[in-house]
Amino acid sequence: MDNDNQKIEEFFYKNNERVNNPIIKSFLSDAKNLYLVQKAILNPTDSNKKLVDESFQAHYINIRKIKYVSNLIHFFSLDFDKKRRRLQNRSLLILDKGLSEEGGTTAKELIEDESNEKELNNIVGDGLLDNIEDEQLLKSLQKLTVKQLQILELIYVKDLSTKEIAQTLQTTPQNISNLHRKALNKLNNTLRKKGD
Amino acid sequence: MTNLENQHIKETLTIIENFTPRIKQCLYNTDYQEREDLEQEIKLKIIEKLATVKFQNVPSFWDFFS
Repeated sequence: MDNDNQKIEEFFYKNNERVNNPIIKSFLSDAKNLYLVQKAILNPTDSNKKLVDESFQAHYINIRKIKYVSNLIHFFSLDFDKKRRRLQNRSLLILDKGLSEEGGTTAKELIEDESNEKELNNIVGDGLLDNIEDEQLLKSLQKLTVKQLQILELIYVKDLSTKEIAQTLQTTPQNISNLHRKALNKLNNTLRKKGD
Repeated sequence: MTNLENQHIKETLTIIENFTPRIKQCLYNTDYQEREDLEQEIKLKIIEKLATVKFQNVPSFWDFFS
C-alpha cells in the first residue's frame, strides 16, 4: 500500500507543471477520474490507460464546446448589430434619420398625435355639474336658472368666448356677460348663506 | 430517436441554459427593439453549430505526461 502511494506521489511530483494545467486540474478534481488515473499509474495496462482517455477526452470536448459557444455569443451579437445598422443606414427614410450626430431620437418620434388631444377634450366635455366635486358648490349651481347654467358651462367647460356664445344662443354679447355676472353673484350669495 | 441523439439534445439544452446570463449581457450590444430577435438568433445559432461542428480532434491524456 505504501509503495503504491509512493509511486503515485512520484508521478505527480515529476509532472508537477503539467498537473497544474487548468484542464488537467479540473479533470482530476473529479474523484472518479482521479481514481482511474491512479489505477493506470500503478498498473499501466492498455485498458486502464484507455479508460482514462475516454473520460478525459469527453471532458476536453466539453471544454472546447464551452469556449466555442462563449466566443460565438460574443462575436455573433456584435456582428448582428453591425449588419442591422448597415442595412438601416443604407435605405434611410428621412423620418428614421437621427436628429443629433449620434442618432438618439429620430424625427418620427417627434410627430404630434392630434387625435389624442381631442379625446381629452371630450372627457371634460360633460356638463358643468358632472365636473364639480364640492357638494355645496354643486347645490348652489343647481339653484341657477337653466340659461345661467348653460352659459357657465359654455364659458368654463367648453372655453368659448363671449362673442361665440352670443352667436350660438342668438343673443348679444352684452346679454351674455350680464347673465354671467348675475350667475356668479347668485352663487356668491348662496355660498355665503351656507357658510353662515 | 436514438439514445445518442437524446443525449446530444439534453447536452445542448444544458449548455444554452447555463449560458443564458452571458447571452443576456451580449443583448446590450444592440438596440432595445432588436434584443428579443437577437436572443432568439443566438440560441438558434448555438443549436445549429453544436449539431454540425466537429469537436473531435482532442489529445490523449497521456500526451501530457512522459
